[in-house]
Amino acid sequence: MTVPLDQPAPHTREPHQWLGAFFIVPSLIMIGVFFIVPLLMTVWMSLHDWPLLGRSSFIGLGNFVEIMGDSQLWNSVGFTMLYTVLVTLALFAVAFPLALLVDRPLRAAGFFRTIYFMPVVIGFGAASTLWLWLLNPDSGVFAQLLRSLHLVSAAPRPIESFWPALGVIILMVVWKSAGFTMVILLTGLQSVPGEIIEAAKIDGANAWSRFRNITLPLMRNSVLLALVLNVTSSMLAFDQFFVITQGGPQNSTITAVFQIYLASFSSYRLGYGSALSLVLLVVLVAISSIQLAFLRTRPEES
Amino acid sequence: MKNWMLMTTAIATAGLMSMPVQAEDLNLWVRTSSAGVLEKLADLYNASHDDKVVITGITAEQMVPKLGASIAAGAAPDGAVLDLIYLPTFAATDSLEDLTDFIDGLPYAAALSPSHIRLATFDGKKYGVPALPDASIIAYNKDLFAKAGLDPEKAPASLAEIAEDAKKITALGNDTYGLFFVASSGSWLVYDFTPHIWAAGADILSEDGRTATIDTPAMRATLAAYNDMWKAGAIHPTSRSGVGNDAVAAFASGKVGVLMTGSYIVNLMTSQYPDVNFGVAAIPGPDGGASSFAGGDTLSLMKGISPEKKAVAESFIDFYMQPEQQVLITKESGMPPRTDLAKEAYGAFDPRNLVAYDILASAKTPYTYASDELFVARTGPWVNLLQSAIFDGKIDEAIAKAQADFTRILDRTNPK
Repeated sequence: MTVPLDQPAPHTREPHQWLGAFFIVPSLIMIGVFFIVPLLMTVWMSLHDWPLLGRSSFIGLGNFVEIMGDSQLWNSVGFTMLYTVLVTLALFAVAFPLALLVDRPLRAAGFFRTIYFMPVVIGFGAASTLWLWLLNPDSGVFAQLLRSLHLVSAAPRPIESFWPALGVIILMVVWKSAGFTMVILLTGLQSVPGEIIEAAKIDGANAWSRFRNITLPLMRNSVLLALVLNVTSSMLAFDQFFVITQGGPQNSTITAVFQIYLASFSSYRLGYGSALSLVLLVVLVAISSIQLAFLRTRPEES
Repeated sequence: MKNWMLMTTAIATAGLMSMPVQAEDLNLWVRTSSAGVLEKLADLYNASHDDKVVITGITAEQMVPKLGASIAAGAAPDGAVLDLIYLPTFAATDSLEDLTDFIDGLPYAAALSPSHIRLATFDGKKYGVPALPDASIIAYNKDLFAKAGLDPEKAPASLAEIAEDAKKITALGNDTYGLFFVASSGSWLVYDFTPHIWAAGADILSEDGRTATIDTPAMRATLAAYNDMWKAGAIHPTSRSGVGNDAVAAFASGKVGVLMTGSYIVNLMTSQYPDVNFGVAAIPGPDGGASSFAGGDTLSLMKGISPEKKAVAESFIDFYMQPEQQVLITKESGMPPRTDLAKEAYGAFDPRNLVAYDILASAKTPYTYASDELFVARTGPWVNLLQSAIFDGKIDEAIAKAQADFTRILDRTNPK
């Protein structure tokens, strides 16, 4: 079945190239209308002083110059980083043991997988509102529970100070999305060939060194995928802070996206909000490409 | 034919003889909390007129962004019933129709809620008519006052008295607290806290709304009194993170001595919690005096509305200003926009409604072009000032920071 190199193979050539183009047109239209056009509009708006009401005026890079000196923004970027690191650590700390627990050929494992995954299907806004009520010091479930167990004498009021507020938000996010990280890690665990583990067992490796030296390196791609997804979604965190802490106490829990919201829909500065969005876009693309660069390196090369 | 005749007469009265005759629809955007009573008014109007008033409810927090976006897109409604505090913002951006001649020509023009008219005035022109006003007041639990050895028929006349009473009521024990105020919501704080400052003759903004005047002896005294109550444990602990919905429940439970609230509380309590024995009063200053925040809604029309629709709007306004409809408004939302109808509007109502009613004529509202950014936002300088001064006790620091933040925002948002 060898074909001479200087002669095109008649059967492998695409017969109707326009057909392929035709098939991708709907998706191109969608991407164009809902991504490219808004992105270009954002770039255009970011070069203007664009109030919600009244006339807009072209100010060139004025918004970006202001961003450089906007201490409130850089505080919020710092807070977003802190939140991202803490929530990612917490998610892995919970999701990894869960994945190991449900990675068993038992019928009950499927049941628990479903249970752990269930909060993932709730929207972030709805989950935040739910937790706002759970956390209510007068009528919330948590306060009642802790008091009836005599663990506390007065209802806890976590959202009134910084670390407790951040703590309950992280708790909520772990409850809400650990199941998703668990599923990703589970696919990694299940892709580790059983015979390698068997061989290691025969060679006398204990459970820890089997996990450390075989399972972990082989599921590296799943770990990195979970990391990229968690970091990206944490950098974009908004709903949970908007609903539960509302940025308080003393504006200490304002994330980068929250800052964009405030610029656009509290100060009604749509131009400045657009400029902030573009800066965040650049930061996110940078972070994601660093992570994806890691992802592309095969384990055997490192 | 009869309808045609009526229509012609109506339009001729409005001075629009040359217009072709045809029934008009007037679309009004209304915040959802006000939609109920406005729909009732519109139904009554529509039943007796050929033209139709159509009410669309919009969530309160989304009203400004949605209306702004619709104006920018050239798809604005004919008019909107707006929180009066936004009137300067919309008027200054040339978004509203001038109603000066219509308002000045009304026989009851002098009786319209003065703060609503002041907020609707920009550059000497009037852009809105009061629709559903309310006024902030204090409500106090007479039974708790009696239990604590205080005179239940005499409302506290100064903030100093409130503080003293609050401590005595807290001393009753059994999870009883002297004061509840909603401290984690900008709109509640501006509504219930600014009257203390006004009562002492001071203000937080200059008359034209362009300069911040946060650092006044009245502000310091008021913050110190609140901080003193907080340190003494006399303020309900949920005040600090309260956003509004917990306040009425706390007061209705009978364990709160004084509630910082609004005129709507009278109708709400008498209908839902008739057992609570309470009185109401104007909001006192640190050492006496009294004031109130005039809140509620103003009806305004979007710039460029057709003369036909404008005529419908004017006829609808005159309709709801008639005594019969003013009584309905009072029944539904607690207070009418006309201040000259005490007997008609209140004859059959709880006399406690009259307290707020009397205040409305002298109640104030900050004239500002940046309401959301300064006052409403949970992250704005107003909420942060009160939170940090009252609960953390950093009064000097908080005042200096608020003055600087207010000034920075005003420098940017003041119309050129």
